[in-house]
Amino acid sequence: MNAPFDPKKLGIPAPEFTLSAHEDGVAKGDVLLNVENVSLSFGGVRAIQDVSFDIRKGEVRAIIGPNGAGKTSMLNVINGFYHPQQGTITYRGEQRKAMRSTAAAKQGISRTFQNIALFKGMSTLDNIMTGRITLQKRGLFWQALWHGPAAREDLEHRRAVEHIIDFLEIQHIRKTPVGRLPYGLQKRVELGRALAAEPALLLLDEPMAGMNLEEKEDMSRFILDVNHQFGTTIALIEHDMGVVMDISDRVVVLDYGRKIGDGTPDEVSKNQNVIDAYLGVPHE
Amino acid sequence: MSGASSALLDTFPKYLLLNAKRFASRPAMRHKDLGIWQSWTWAEQLDEVRAFSVGLRSMGVKPGERIAVIGANRPRLYWTFTAAQALRAIPVPVYADAVGEELAFVLDNAGITIAVVQDQEQVDKLLTFREKIPTLKHIIYDEPRGLRDYDHTDIHAFEAVQAHGRSLLADDANVAVSWQDAISKADGDDVSVILYTSGTTGQSKGVMVKASAAVNASKDTVVFDGLNEQDDVLAYLPLAWSGDHYLNYAHGYVAGFCMSCPESVETVSHDLKEIGPSFYFAPPRVFEGLLTDVTIRIEDASKLKKRLFAYYLGVAEKYGEAILENRNVPLAGRLGYWLGELLVYGPLKNALGLSKIRVAYTAGEAIGPDLFSFFRSLGINLKQLYGQTEAFLYVTAQTDNEVRADTVGTAIPNVDIRISDDGEVQFKSPGMFSGYYKQDEKTKETLTEDGFIKTGDAGFFDKEGQLKIIDRAKDVGKLTSGALFAPKYIENALKFFPNIKETVTFGDQREFAAAFINIDLQAVGNWAERNNIAYASYQELASHPLVYEMIANHVDETNRKLAGEPMMAGGQIKRFLILHKELDADDGELTRTQKVRRNFIAERYGELIEALYDGSAEKYVETEVTFEDGRKGTINATIKIADAGVYTAADNAPVKEAAE
Amino acid sequence: MSPAFLYFVETVLNGLMAGVMYSLVALGFVLIFKASGIFNFAQGVMALFAALTLVGLQTGQVPFAHLINAIFGTEVHHFGWELPSIFAILGTLAVMVAFAYLFEVLVLKHLVNQEPIILFMATIGLAYFLEGFGDLMWGADIKTLDIGIPSGGSFWLEDVTREWAVEGADYYGMYIDKLDVVAAIVAIVLVVALTMFSQYTATGRALRAVADDHQAALSVGISLRSIWVIVWSIAGFVALVAGIMWGAKSGVQFSLSLIALKALPVLILGGFTSIPGAIVGGLIIGVGEKLAELYIGPLVGGAIENWFAYVVALAFLLFRPQGLFGEKIIERV
Repeated sequence: MNAPFDPKKLGIPAPEFTLSAHEDGVAKGDVLLNVENVSLSFGGVRAIQDVSFDIRKGEVRAIIGPNGAGKTSMLNVINGFYHPQQGTITYRGEQRKAMRSTAAAKQGISRTFQNIALFKGMSTLDNIMTGRITLQKRGLFWQALWHGPAAREDLEHRRAVEHIIDFLEIQHIRKTPVGRLPYGLQKRVELGRALAAEPALLLLDEPMAGMNLEEKEDMSRFILDVNHQFGTTIALIEHDMGVVMDISDRVVVLDYGRKIGDGTPDEVSKNQNVIDAYLGVPHE
Repeated sequence: MSGASSALLDTFPKYLLLNAKRFASRPAMRHKDLGIWQSWTWAEQLDEVRAFSVGLRSMGVKPGERIAVIGANRPRLYWTFTAAQALRAIPVPVYADAVGEELAFVLDNAGITIAVVQDQEQVDKLLTFREKIPTLKHIIYDEPRGLRDYDHTDIHAFEAVQAHGRSLLADDANVAVSWQDAISKADGDDVSVILYTSGTTGQSKGVMVKASAAVNASKDTVVFDGLNEQDDVLAYLPLAWSGDHYLNYAHGYVAGFCMSCPESVETVSHDLKEIGPSFYFAPPRVFEGLLTDVTIRIEDASKLKKRLFAYYLGVAEKYGEAILENRNVPLAGRLGYWLGELLVYGPLKNALGLSKIRVAYTAGEAIGPDLFSFFRSLGINLKQLYGQTEAFLYVTAQTDNEVRADTVGTAIPNVDIRISDDGEVQFKSPGMFSGYYKQDEKTKETLTEDGFIKTGDAGFFDKEGQLKIIDRAKDVGKLTSGALFAPKYIENALKFFPNIKETVTFGDQREFAAAFINIDLQAVGNWAERNNIAYASYQELASHPLVYEMIANHVDETNRKLAGEPMMAGGQIKRFLILHKELDADDGELTRTQKVRRNFIAERYGELIEALYDGSAEKYVETEVTFEDGRKGTINATIKIADAGVYTAADNAPVKEAAE
Repeated sequence: MSPAFLYFVETVLNGLMAGVMYSLVALGFVLIFKASGIFNFAQGVMALFAALTLVGLQTGQVPFAHLINAIFGTEVHHFGWELPSIFAILGTLAVMVAFAYLFEVLVLKHLVNQEPIILFMATIGLAYFLEGFGDLMWGADIKTLDIGIPSGGSFWLEDVTREWAVEGADYYGMYIDKLDVVAAIVAIVLVVALTMFSQYTATGRALRAVADDHQAALSVGISLRSIWVIVWSIAGFVALVAGIMWGAKSGVQFSLSLIALKALPVLILGGFTSIPGAIVGGLIIGVGEKLAELYIGPLVGGAIENWFAYVVALAFLLFRPQGLFGEKIIERV
C-alpha cells in the first residue's frame, strides 16, 4: 500500500472485439490484391483498359477519377460482379480470372454501393445480421430446429453485430426498418453490414456521396477507425478530394478507363496528368 | 433499522455498505450495453465501487481531494462518486457537453487532480486544455475506444484501475478492512459533492453540499413521496445537474432503488419504454416534446384513430384529473375513462414509457397549464417542485392531492421559507449548501444575515398557501405605462403552442411588449410538409409568409388570454418577429440546460429589438454562428416584423367560450 | 338462443374452416412470389402431385407402373407393402425437395434476369409437365388419401350445441367436420412456424433479404440459387400440407389442382406479398362464401359459392388493388 503508484502496473485493456474471421496470413504492407493488365468492355465500349495496381494489406487505398473513369467498374471486377476480358486478379496470392460475387464474399471481400443497396424492409439489426451470412456454419437443418448449435451460433453473431452497432453509434435505430432512415444513416448501416462479414478487404463505393459536411466527417472517422482499430484493408472510391487526401494512404487515378496516376495523395496531387484530367484538358 | 445505527448513516458510502447487506440481491444499477440490459445488484455494486476506490487510493487520492466526473450517465461514472466519497475525496461532476474552455475553467476552479471521464471525446478536450488545469494529474476513461494508442503514463482505463484495486484487495485482506473502516469513521461534515451551477448568470459557481445535508434532505423527500427499493428510475438527466445527483443518485442510495442508465442519448425514449420507470423527472420542455410527438403521430394516423383519440382525450380532460385526485366522478364518467384507458391512454402511456409512473415531477420553468393537465388527465401523477442547486434541490413540492399547474407547492418538511419585503423567495433547508467553493464573497451575497438563501426569484403564496413563482426577481419589469411586465409569464403562454419552440420578450421601460420567436422545426416542418411548402433550412421556413401568418394567430390568441387576466393584460405582445436562427447553446444564447440567456440575446440582437420598437417593417442583420465542430460562420437575413392584435377583457369573453 | 342464430354461428365456423384451406394454398403462392417475384401457376398442381406421391408411397404403388408394364409387358402395380404415414410424408417431402432442386438446375438457373412474364410462362409449363408426370408416375385413377386424420362431424359438438337452442326448437346441433378442425390447427402451426423461421434464423433472414433486394443479397454472399431451392422446397412442403388436407377431404384427383383457382381471389384480397394477408384473405373468402350461400343463395337459386369469391376479388381490384395487407402501391410522378 505504501509503494509509490506506478502507472505501468495498470496496463491497457485488450480490445473486446476484433474483425478477424478472414485472417489471411498476409503480412501488413504486403500485397493483398493485385490487379494486372485488366481490360473490360461492354459491347464496344471499353470501360477499363489495361489497368494494373495493387492493394496492400492494412492500407486505405483510394480510387479516384472523373465521372465515367471506370472506378465503379473496377470495384465490380474486384468483387466479381464483372469478369474482365483480359488481365488477371491475384487475391491473397491466388490468381483468379472469373469469380462469382458470392465466392468473393466468402473469401472476405465486402462492399458497399454508390446507391445504397440495403434491404429496405428489414431492420438495421437484420440488415447487419445478413452481413454475417458467409460466416454462418450451421446449416438449414439446425436452423429449422432452432435449437442447440444454431441458436448458440446465432447468439454469437448477434453479439458481434451489437459490437458493430455500438462502434457505428447506431443503437437508436437498431429496430428501425432501414427504408425509413435518412440517407446518411443508411450509408452507415450499409458500412455496418459490410463490416459484419469481418472482411479482409472492404470496398467502399462513394461512402460519402450526398452527405453534408458533418456526416462526411463522421463517416471519415468511422473509416479511419475501422482501418486503425481492426487493421482492415480498405479500397474506396470517392469524389471529395479533401476527404481522399485526408484519409487514404495511396491513391490510384483513372481517367477514361486508363490509369493515369498512382502514389501517395501528395504525389498524385502534383502529377500533371492528374491535374489535367481534373481540369478537363482535352485528350489529343 | 435501530435508532442508533441509522443515526450513523450520514454519508452515501455508509448507505452503500448498508444496502449491500439489506438489499444484497436486489438490483442497484442497470445499463443497456450491446443491446442487452446488464445489471448489478447492491452487493455487486459494492464490489465494483470498492475495487475502483482502492485503485484510486493506490494512486494517492487523499481526503478532500477533488475528482472530476465527466460524461453521460454511465454506471462507472456513478460508481466514481461513491468511490471518491469512500476516500473522503470530493466528486465534482461536470457537464459533458461543456466546450473546452468552460470545462477547463471548472476543473481549474475546483483544483481537480483526477478526472474520470467517459470516452475519447472528453480525454481529447482535457488534453487540449491541459496547461490551464495545472493540478490535473491523471485522467481515467471508461470507454477505451480510440484510446489504446495514447500515452498511458497518466491516462488510464477505468477497468485497469479497478483491476489494480482488485489485485490489492486480493493480496491483502487488510485492504478491504481499512477501506471499510475509513467509511465508518468518516462523518457527515465532509463535503459530499461540489455541483457547478449551469451559469444562467455569468460564470459557474461550485455549490458545496455536505454529506449529512445531502443525506438528510434525501431522507425527507424519500418519505415525502414514499420512495422505496421497489422503485425504478431512468438516469438520463445530465450527470452534473443537481437534479440528477439528487433524484437518482441520492434517492437511489437512501431508498435503495435501482437506477438504469440509457444506452445512448438518442435511445432514451426506447430505454424509457423498456424500463418503465416509477419515479420520473423531466423539465417542461421534455413534456412539450412528448406532446408534440404525440400530436404529430396522431395527425398522421387514420381517421378512425384520430376520432377515437380526440373523443377519449375529451373524456380524459373532463374526468381524468378528478379520478387521479380521488374526487367524485359520475359512474358514466368513470366507465368512459376506463374504456379510454383501455383504448387510448394505456397504449399511449406505454408508447411514451410512462405507464408505470407513480410519481413524476417537472420543474425548472413554468409548465403550460394545458400541457400539465394533458399528462395528468392521462392518469400520470405529474407534480411540480421548486428547487435550487443551493438547496441541493427541493425547496417546495406539491403533495399528491394539491396539484396545480400555476404553483409549485408548499415547503418540503423541515424547510423554512419566506418572502422578503421586495418579493424575493428565501429559504433555509436541510440540504442547503455550505458555500460556493473558493468563492466566499459570492456565498455571502447569496445568504441573508440570518442564514436564509436568497433565491433571486420573485414569488408569492396564494390563498391555499402554495408558492407561485412569477419570474426571476430582477427580470420582472414595468412598461412605461406602469403596467406589470413579467416576461417569463408571457413567454410561457406563447410556448404553449407546439409550433413555438422558444421566445424572448421585451418590454421593461418600453411602451409595449414585443417578442422574438423561434419556431419548432419539427412541428412547423411537419405542418409545411402536409401543406406542400418546400423549405431548405430553418431560416427559409421561419421567414415564410404562411408561417408568419400562423404565428401571428398564435400571438393573437395569447393576447386574448392575457387580456383576460387583469395583472397581465398590459403585457400583450404588440409586435413580434421570427428569428432567422434557432437559439443555440453553442452561440451562448442558451445555457447548457437550455435556458434562455436574456441579457446576452438583448445585446446580440440589439438592432432587432430597436426594429421592434421603431415601427420598421423589416430589418437586415448579420449574425455570427458557431457550428458543431467549433468553426464560426456568418448568416445574414432580412427579418420581417409583424403586428399582432391587442384585446380587452371584453373581447376575450366570447372567444374563450368558443375555445372551450 | 334461436336456431337462426346458431345456424349463423355454424355457417361462420364452417366458413372459417374452409377459409383456412384456401389460405393453405394461397400461402404457397405468397412464399414464392415474395422471394422471387414469380407467380407460380403450378402451385395447385404441386399440391396434387404431392398428394399423389404421398398416396403412392403409402400404398406401396410402383412408380411408372403403366410405363413399365407397357414396355416390359409385366403386370406390376404394387410392391406389396404399405408405408406408415409418417415415413410416407417424409418420403414425399424428400421428393418435393428433389423436385425443387431439379427445377432450379434445369429451368430457373437458365432464366435468371428474365422478365417476370417469362418466368410465369415457365411455371405454366411446369404445371402441365407435372400434371402429366404425376399421371404417368402414379396413374390417373382417383385415389383416397387416409393418413389417419379424424373426419366426419363431431357428435360431441352436436350434443352440446343442441342444448343451446331454445326449448322445443327444431334444431339438431352444429355440424363441423373434424377434418376441418385439424386442417385449421395444422395451418396455424404452419404459419407460426414459417414466421418464426423467417424472423429468427439466418436462412430466414437470407430469404427476406433476397425478397428485398437481389443485388444487395448477392454482395453479402447470399447464393440466389440455393435460396431458390429453399423457397421452392418450402413451397413444395406447403403444397404437401395443402394436398394432404384437400386430398383427405375430397379425394386425390385432377380437380385437386383446381384449388389454385380458389387461391387467386384470396391473393387479390390479401395481397401477393403478405403472409398474414393470405390467411386473413382466405378466412374472409371462406366465411363470405358460406354466408352468401346461406342468405343470398336462396334468392338467386344457389350455387353462389362458385363465383362469390371472384366478385369479392373484383371489388377489391377496383378499390384496393394492393390488397388488404399488400405493400401500398405508390405511383411516383
